[in-house]
Amino acid sequence: MEFDLLKRPDSTVVHVSLSPHEEILAEAGAMVAMSGHLQAETTLRKGKGGGILGGLKRMLAGESIFLSTFRSGNSPGDLYLAPKLMGDVCHVGIGSTGSALGGSGSGLVVQSTGYLASTPGVVVDLGFQGLKSFFSGESIFWLDISGDGVVFLSSFGAIYEIEVDGSYVVDTGHIVAFEKTLTFTVTKAGGSWLNAILGGEGLVMRFQGHGKLYCQTHNAGAFGQLVGSQLPAREA
Amino acid sequence: MKYDLRYNPAFATLFVELQPGERLTAEAGAMASMDGSLDFVTTFSGGLFTALLKRFFGGESLFVNTFHNPTSEPRTLVLTQANIGDIHHIKIKAGESICFQPGAYIAHMGGVTIQAQWAGFRSWIAGEGLFKLKIQGPPQGSGLVFFGAYGGITERRVQGDLIVDTGHLVAYSPQLKMQIKLAGGLLGSITSGEGLVNRLSGQGKIYLQSRSIGGLVKFLTPKLR
Repeated sequence: MEFDLLKRPDSTVVHVSLSPHEEILAEAGAMVAMSGHLQAETTLRKGKGGGILGGLKRMLAGESIFLSTFRSGNSPGDLYLAPKLMGDVCHVGIGSTGSALGGSGSGLVVQSTGYLASTPGVVVDLGFQGLKSFFSGESIFWLDISGDGVVFLSSFGAIYEIEVDGSYVVDTGHIVAFEKTLTFTVTKAGGSWLNAILGGEGLVMRFQGHGKLYCQTHNAGAFGQLVGSQLPAREA
Repeated sequence: MKYDLRYNPAFATLFVELQPGERLTAEAGAMASMDGSLDFVTTFSGGLFTALLKRFFGGESLFVNTFHNPTSEPRTLVLTQANIGDIHHIKIKAGESICFQPGAYIAHMGGVTIQAQWAGFRSWIAGEGLFKLKIQGPPQGSGLVFFGAYGGITERRVQGDLIVDTGHLVAYSPQLKMQIKLAGGLLGSITSGEGLVNRLSGQGKIYLQSRSIGGLVKFLTPKLR
């Protein structure tokens, strides 16, 4: 399988070229276009992170309960995948593939709306990051990515990588994913709780240790509020 | 301070490197991420009363954060805006000033002062808020101010008259005179969709944004039924 990330960083689309007998997994609705002979199947995914329970867990995490599998069959084929929001897509190697791609190979914790697609060897499961996640203001649940292969992450805005060596702070609305080697705490950003609530910085995640962080430059909630505050109220 | 503007014009983001001891002030919410050893202080923007005025009538944030580098090494800070669009900087010297529309201001450094100024009822009717933000240069030397917009930013010199759609004006020289009026006659304004426009006159500089939130709202509203 080969892939190409086109039109980065604001309108990214992933062009995947599948060799015969290959498959790729993507979130429901990600397919833009594909070769006519590719088999598309909607699944709740087998194995860990699969089945009805896996689907329900993903729904809790903010992802659709369905995942689509695209299979090439006897001949090669290609397809284009894109996320729903304007922004970026990046790829991260997991496991031994990760080490080969220059990554550390350790698993990733991904913010629920950040998952776009992955190769079959990657395990996508619900990860509960503890009660502290309740206060992050973002979704309570995170996706736990492990196994061996490549995962594609999507964002609102551009994705930038930070190599953490010591400590690093990220606003909760700007985190896409982080390596499991990092530990984090959710803290208030300013000097007082009033500041945290009214100050706009609200809550931040303070990461410690050594590992990679994937952050997004923009916050969908903030842009949504800018537009939404002027839209008429919904009729009951 | 060193800074790098990346991902413009759609998702312009400021990657700032604060030198040891340096300070930079930004509106609350502008910080996307920063080095763990930077500290910051949250204050009411211009004092409590001014901040409240700005928040409720000017559409600006109630708070600003002043970031400081207490270490002996340069540290990074990533600043962004809620809008999808470009970010520009203006170097303001002593005696110079510029006015911003609500929501445009992102950050500043170097002794620049930020005041809320009465914008007039017509400005409010035009949906631009009762107050505007006036940025003044420091008593001596020069300061830097960063502002953003929805879409791309175009700079334009005004000499004489210029008509601008109110939703597309981002920043302007304070000496320019503004007149908010209907685009055409009453019927013309409604049918043309242009609504209210701003007639600018005098000599000065303005900054325009290539998209308007009002335009997006008009597009989305019928889809919500």
